[in-house]
Amino acid sequence: MKSFDGFKAVNNANLDVQKGEIIAVIGPNGAGKTTLFNLISGILKPDSGQVLFKGEDITGLSPHEVCRKRISRSFQVVNVFNRLTIFENTQISILSRERHTWNLFTPSSTLAVDETNELLKNVGLYEKKDSVSGSLSHGDRKVLEIAMALGGNPEFLILDEPTAGMSPEETTRCINLIQGLREKFGLTILFCEHDMEIVFGIASRIMVMVRGATIVQGTCEEVRCNEAVQDAYLGGSDVCLM
Amino acid sequence: MDAIGILNQIFVGLSRTVILFIVSSGLSLILGVLRIPNVAHGSLYMIGAFMAFTFSKLFGGGDLGFWMALIGAPCAVALISLAAERGIFQYLYEREHLMLILLTFAFSLVFGDLVKIVWGGEYKSVPVPYMFQGFVPLFGGLPFPLYNVFLLVCGPIIAILLWLLVNKTKIGKIARAAAVDREMVGAVGINVSWVFAIVFVIGCLLAGLGGVLVAPTVSVTLGMDHTLIIEAFLIVIMGGLGNIWGALLGALIFGLSQSMGILIWPQFGIIFPYLAVVVVLIFRPTGLLKSTW
Amino acid sequence: MATGILNGKGRIWLIVALVALCLVPFALPRFYVYLLSIILLYGLFAMSNNFPLGFGGIYQLHHAVFYGVGAYGTALVITKSGLSPWLAFLVGPLVAAALSLVMGLICIRLSKLYFGMLQISLGSLVWAVVYRWYSFTGGDDGIHGISVPDIISSYQGAYYFTLVVTAVSLFILYRILKSPYGSTLQGIRDNPVRSAMIGVNVKRHQLLALIIAGFFAGVAGTLFVVVDNTVFPDMMFWTLSMEAVIMCLLGGWLTFLGPMLGAALIVLIRTFVSTYTVYWALVLGIIFMLVIFFLPNGVLGWIETLFKGKTKLVEAKE
Repeated sequence: MKSFDGFKAVNNANLDVQKGEIIAVIGPNGAGKTTLFNLISGILKPDSGQVLFKGEDITGLSPHEVCRKRISRSFQVVNVFNRLTIFENTQISILSRERHTWNLFTPSSTLAVDETNELLKNVGLYEKKDSVSGSLSHGDRKVLEIAMALGGNPEFLILDEPTAGMSPEETTRCINLIQGLREKFGLTILFCEHDMEIVFGIASRIMVMVRGATIVQGTCEEVRCNEAVQDAYLGGSDVCLM
Repeated sequence: MDAIGILNQIFVGLSRTVILFIVSSGLSLILGVLRIPNVAHGSLYMIGAFMAFTFSKLFGGGDLGFWMALIGAPCAVALISLAAERGIFQYLYEREHLMLILLTFAFSLVFGDLVKIVWGGEYKSVPVPYMFQGFVPLFGGLPFPLYNVFLLVCGPIIAILLWLLVNKTKIGKIARAAAVDREMVGAVGINVSWVFAIVFVIGCLLAGLGGVLVAPTVSVTLGMDHTLIIEAFLIVIMGGLGNIWGALLGALIFGLSQSMGILIWPQFGIIFPYLAVVVVLIFRPTGLLKSTW
Repeated sequence: MATGILNGKGRIWLIVALVALCLVPFALPRFYVYLLSIILLYGLFAMSNNFPLGFGGIYQLHHAVFYGVGAYGTALVITKSGLSPWLAFLVGPLVAAALSLVMGLICIRLSKLYFGMLQISLGSLVWAVVYRWYSFTGGDDGIHGISVPDIISSYQGAYYFTLVVTAVSLFILYRILKSPYGSTLQGIRDNPVRSAMIGVNVKRHQLLALIIAGFFAGVAGTLFVVVDNTVFPDMMFWTLSMEAVIMCLLGGWLTFLGPMLGAALIVLIRTFVSTYTVYWALVLGIIFMLVIFFLPNGVLGWIETLFKGKTKLVEAKE
């Protein structure tokens, strides 16, 4: 059982994530979802509050230390190595996990090749592995984001708007990928999205954030018919979401 | 080393500060608004000094010559910089800093040789105008050059004028806005390109002005650009990019630490300013005062 | 990838070039051999600058400090201590590497332009000390007539020594770039946030890049002592650092051999132009401007894109 209690200056957010579940964070723009993710992944340090992972306090650790705890993350704005190929991008992630980054003498081309190819096949990027990532379509780059996050062999995966900017086909592919990840590898996944269909489609639980605070955490049903959520999204109508 | 000597060194340092401030404020302006680290700034300072020599000679070498130089040389430098900006720089604003540094470095090479071509390789001297020749007895009777007093008067005047320009005029406000968000400024219909040109020219004019003012006190030689540009950059970095008061503060620290340093340890006096910069940057990496980026 | 030109067919040309370089002293007069020695060591200097600059994304703007300190280290050990010159050749680069570590620890907390400017400040401090310490470093006169072992004191000997050392150094740099560390470094260049998020301690890896760069700059400085038998404070003046960066840019800062090419071009242009006019700086300045305008990826970068043809890169904005 993992519990998070992140509190930042103007935030008052609570998030509980169970092992093996897919949980979504939703909220209007500016609600603080990305900030929350940044707090969890170590890019920001909370002014107060805690981040607990598997019972361990990881609050305030720097990003690379958080990664070592087997928490990985993808970014809303694509953050990959533009000048390198898909293969190289992914390989570096795996090399980092295997602690090879201080190796100055063995050629990279002989290390972690099989694991990289395996991972690329799992996410469906194997055919394009030698393309420079800066020249790919947006959808492919977002999948590469996920691939790089997977390179760290995480237990807990944080995806920040994974399907943002994707075409419908790309979106479907991505959703199947995410669900497949949980089934095949038992990953716990936390994500945020604006597309409610996706959210209600794959999340087992949802946390709703408004203006930096958590207003409700619960199953899809609970959230759908929650008054506070309706106020935030629909301006107080009596109709259940969807 | 007595109190009088120290006081004298302080005033010497302050005179140097004035020159450093004038040049650095120009550099800071260009760096803050246009985001160009203008390595050619030192060359423009040097051109200002050489121009002062020419103007001075043209008008008889006396007082008239000096005043004509004071007006004419910075204008000449301004024209040169306008040509450079319109001709080349304006096409490269979007490039990375690295490219801009190298481009301005290329300019400094070109200017350096142009000075050699026009004025030759020997050093020139610009005479101190009669009205500023002589000394003023400072505290305890130590003679202090009258010309330096003139400099000490000029400094604050220019600082105030600059402050007025940047904070109280319309162009100043636009420039400050453009420093923070050039796209927005363009989006509201202002011709950002011309704003940049004006700021660039003013910045370079200041460099030229510094050159003219320093000319009567030193031998005007090739190579004055190289030593000055490093000092100016360090001052700007120390003070905060784009911050005029930062340039003043930085110049004060630099000028005073140099003059006091020479007093305390003559052989290594010149390292004191560099040491000061390093210390400041270790504790406040983005400069003492707020920078515009 | 960046080292593309060295794969496959490129290897053959490389061997041909190496053989040609070995034969040079038999074919060309003394001046050209000397010139080639200078080109090789400046090339190494520029390549060591490009290690953090082009491959690490670090604003290494005052690399000449390490070059100069390496040279002075070697020179001072030879002239002031009774130790063997061969030991001196080792001391130079080690001192340069040590200085890189110290300066790196101070500067690494900053990024981009701020890093570069702090490095320039620290470097200027070092220059000022060397410039003024007449009794120890010879001040602005420098040190002349430094004696080197007989084997390498002739112009041919110096040339071969330079050739061998440079070739070995480049080989080592190449291997490092191809290693996991090299890949990690390039990842840091392209996206430090992403690198941190996949478990890389960005600052530490950058620090190592600085030390490696400083070491090989020191090697280049030592080679200069062997070739020219002098050292002088201008070797660590900021203008030389700017030139090194331009060499990297001119040749192609995203390619492996680009800086070497850039160094060769600049030395050759300067030498050639000086025979016609004293105003070679003017010519050089204009050429730099043209390169910045039209060949932002440098000569080798341009050649590589010609060969690669279709791959269009999405340039990530800062």
